[in-house]
This record gives sequence, C-alpha cells and structure tokens, in this order.
Amino acid sequence: MNTRIPAIHTQALSKIYGNGRGCRNITLTVGQGEAFGFLGPNGAGKSTFVKTLVGLVRASEGSGSILGHPIGSLEARKQIGYLPELYRYPEWLSGEEVMKFHAGLLGIRGGEAKRRIRERLDEVGIGKRGSDRVKQYSKGMQQRLGLACALLGDPKLLFLDEPSSAMDPVGRKEVRELLLELKRRGTTLFLNSHLMEDVETVCDRMALMLNGDMIRTGPVEDVLKTKVRWRFKVGGFSPLILDWLREESRLNLKVADDADAAEAQWDAPVWLEAELVDENQAGLLNLLIVEQGMTLYESFVQKEKLEDWFVQTVSGRDQRGERG
Amino acid sequence: MKTIIASTWQEMLRRKMMLITFVLTVLFLAVFWFIADTVGADTRNGNDLLLQFTRRSAILSLGFFFGGFVVAFLAIFSSFSVISGESEQGVLQSVLTRPIPRWKWYVGRWIGYVSLIGAYALLLFAAILLITHAHAGMTRDYGDIWISLLLFLGAVPVLIGASMVGSTLFSGIGNGVFMTMLYGAGWLGGMVEKVRGVLPVEPDVQATLSRIGALLSLLMPADGLNRRMQFVLTQGAGETIPFLTGGNPPSNTFVWYAGIFAIFAFGLGLWLFKRKDF
Repeated sequence: MNTRIPAIHTQALSKIYGNGRGCRNITLTVGQGEAFGFLGPNGAGKSTFVKTLVGLVRASEGSGSILGHPIGSLEARKQIGYLPELYRYPEWLSGEEVMKFHAGLLGIRGGEAKRRIRERLDEVGIGKRGSDRVKQYSKGMQQRLGLACALLGDPKLLFLDEPSSAMDPVGRKEVRELLLELKRRGTTLFLNSHLMEDVETVCDRMALMLNGDMIRTGPVEDVLKTKVRWRFKVGGFSPLILDWLREESRLNLKVADDADAAEAQWDAPVWLEAELVDENQAGLLNLLIVEQGMTLYESFVQKEKLEDWFVQTVSGRDQRGERG
Repeated sequence: MKTIIASTWQEMLRRKMMLITFVLTVLFLAVFWFIADTVGADTRNGNDLLLQFTRRSAILSLGFFFGGFVVAFLAIFSSFSVISGESEQGVLQSVLTRPIPRWKWYVGRWIGYVSLIGAYALLLFAAILLITHAHAGMTRDYGDIWISLLLFLGAVPVLIGASMVGSTLFSGIGNGVFMTMLYGAGWLGGMVEKVRGVLPVEPDVQATLSRIGALLSLLMPADGLNRRMQFVLTQGAGETIPFLTGGNPPSNTFVWYAGIFAIFAFGLGLWLFKRKDF
C-alpha cells in the first residue's frame, strides 16, 4: 500500500441540489491512517458530502478520489466501509442473514464469510443475538449491526455517519473504543458526528461545515488549545477586590457563570475565571487571592471542549438547517 | 447478481407474500373446481361438442379473469416500493456503496421478481387448465396452449418493468397508487372493447369506443395480453360470458407492442436508476 496516496482527496467538489442545498467547493485531503472528524449543524451539507464520496450521489462539479481511485468507481468502493446515517435493515432477516447478504455483495463466501460474520458481530457486541430477526433489535442494536456490516470487508477507509447516536452511554463508549482500536490498526476513519466527545477522543483532524461550505479545518488539538481557561473558587469575595486583582495581575479576571459581580454574596463562594497563558499566571492569581484574605477553595484549568468551540463558532451565523 | 436474486426471493417468501398468495389461490382453486363442475355438468357425455366448447370457454374465462388479476396485483404489490421504499429506509444506501455495479442490483431485482412471480403464474395457469380439463375437456392443440402460456407469463415482465420505473420516480405509496391506476386503465381499455362488442350501438360509436379502448390498453398492455391469451386458449369462442369475453382480441401488433413496452420499461428503469441520487 502506497501511504503517500491520500485516503481521501477532493478538489473543489460540489453537489448542489435543485433547492440550492448541498455542499460547495470542498477541497480536502485526508491521509491514510488518519481519523478525521466532520462537524456541522443539521442541514450543513455533511451527509451530502459523505454520500458524494461513497458514490451515492453524483458530484455537480469538481473531482475526488478514494485511495487514488475516482470516487464512485468500483475500485474506490472496494476500499470503503460505510455506515449510513438513517437506515433500517430488512426486518424479516436475522442479523446474521443481513451480514451474509453483505458478504455476498463483497464476494466473501463459505467459511471465510462465516468466520468474518461471527468476528464482526462479536466485535460490535451483538454476539449470539445475531440469529435474532432485525425486527427484534433496538435502535442501538441496529446501529451495532450497521457498524458490523460496514466493517465486514475489512475496509481501509471507514465512513461513519453518526455511528453511535442511538446508543446508550455504555454502547457509545464501546463504539469509541472500537474506533480507537481500528485507528490503531491503521484504518482511516471519516467520522461524521454530532457527538463531540467521539470526535474529540478519536479524531486527529476535523473540519466544520456550515451552509454547504467548509469554514474551518485543522488538527483537533489546535482548535481546543486556542483558549486555556482557569477557574478559581473563592470565599469572602467582593467586587472591589476583583478590580484590585485585575490591576495587580494585569489579567482579565471575571466572575464566571454570568453572575453579576455586584450581586455576589460575601459569604457565598464565587467562581472566578480568566484566560491564562501558563501556570505561572495561575500561581500569581492564587497568591493574590490568598493575600487579600479570601479563601481559595479550588483552582483548575478548564480546557475548552469541542462542543463549546462548535457552539461559539456556529452561533450568530445564518444557518439553513432546522432553524433555517 | 445471484446474491440479489436470492435476496429478492427470500424477501418475498419471508414477508409471507407468496404464502398468503398460495393459500388464497388454493381456496380460489377449490371454489373454481365447484364452479367448473357445475358449468361443465351438461358436457360430460361428450356428445354435444359445441356445448362442450362453449362451456369450456366460459370456465377458462372465469378462471383467467381471476388469474390475470392475481398475477397483476402480485407483480405490482411486490415491487412497487423496491427502489423508493428501500431508499427511504436507508437499505439501498448500504448496498449501493458495495463494489457491485448498479445495473447488477437492478437486473438482479428484476430477475428475482419476474422469475418467482412467473413460476407462480405458471402453476396457476396449469391448475386452471387441469381443472377445466377435468370438467369440460381441454383442447389438445399444444401449440395454442404454449402460446397462451407465453402470453399469460408476458404480463409479468410488463408489470414489473413499469413498477420499477415508477419506483425510481415516485415514493413507495405514490408508485403503488400509480401502478394500480395504470393497470386499472389498461383493464378499463379491455372492458370498453368488451362492452363495445356487446352493446347494440351505431358503427361510428363503436369505432370511437374501440379507439378509446385501444388507447387505454396501450397505456398498460398487461390486461391486453391476458385478453389475447384467452382468445387463443378458447380458440376464438367470442362472447361466451357477456362482459368477460367478447369484442375484438388484441392483434399481433399489440403483442409486439407489449414486448417492446416491457423492454423499454426495463431499459428506462435501468437508465434512471443508474443516474439516481440516493
């Protein structure tokens, strides 16, 4: 396998539907073995882009390749596994029969098919319930079955559209661990998810889509370390001290949780917060707080969550999704 | 493609479509046995060949009046949501990303439906003929029987082809309504022709009715094939039962048209499916 060939490469790829929706002018490269998160509010065009990559819809303009093969080609489709966002397998089949059908489509037969089906069903936690009819499966079980089907052909590139949205917390954790294991094995992951924790934990890089445009792309770490916020829980606080602390430290310290500093009760603990560059600044603030006779109950660094970043980035912008 | 064909059969068997159809068919055949026994009672001594001929024609017309409907509705209701329905449920999205050309999926589905419903139609055809033979004797002209069988089976690819075209264009329920109305239009065309043959009206009125009937039959030629089949099988018995038989049978040109219709529908559906976004 030539690792120089990107797993996904698109050049000004667009898919515009009759109503003007879709995705526009997306140029993106995802390397082999990379885990890539794709974020955006509902209606942003994420699923359209993924469907274009896996060959379900035809691009209006631009081009793209999967591991060096044109998108939609049989060669490209041999390399991928795909878990659609909204799907329901035929309920008159058992989980094993669904898998057997997909094995047939992949050209995997006989003992090899049986072995892989058993392995994948165990891997996603369906196990012996594979012999049950799909109509007896919960939504979470169906999602596990979808994941097992996507993994059946040992794909080099796995597209996952909301892979654990219907699962309970235990199921989500199991899926996250499975994705991390796949990443360790070298499978390229393209994760389209509203569950920021999945993207944060699993992905190396991410992109944000809004109204059909890709407005930002980069390493997840870079996005998350743009701001490091420290929080201090103090007792005996008064607004006058806050001004003094700002002057002394030359830092933009403020009362957290949108509470009005003037209304803070002298005997109730108050959370203060500041965006700091390093721990020395935090140490200085700790010292000044104690010097002023306040009680410092707790101080810690609050890393910005991807969810906060996502909300901050998309809020205030026009959206064509659910609220559009 | 074998996987797709097998899954189509599996779907029809698992969803109990075929089971329900077989059970109801057995019930119908039991009732048909008694009808044939009653209608054919006078012909047992075999002396009056003309009476035997007309009674046999009447029995066959009744049998295939039912048979034509059952085969048509089985073809329509098994396939009307094959593309749109599976797309709405997201089943197709996981299938079409597999390394198989789209045409293989489409052709596999088409063969799956046509073969299974065709097999059912073959059994139904044989059962109706055997019951008729038991009570009113059957023609020994095997050439006519073979042609009739082909015409009876011919309705299946016509209907499946049209239904799969509709399924690429309309929603599942929308296509069910569309196909039922389309088949109804073709059936109405046949009825207009039969009524024209019975009603004592002026020649110009007859000509107008004939044109209307022909146009409606062209919209969906499945019922026309059934009428032609009955004509061949009854050796042109004509009006043995008013409104069930009678009128002019569809011509050879019509039969050719039905064949072209089936091929065109198959090709159009395949073309649309290959270009469809899911």
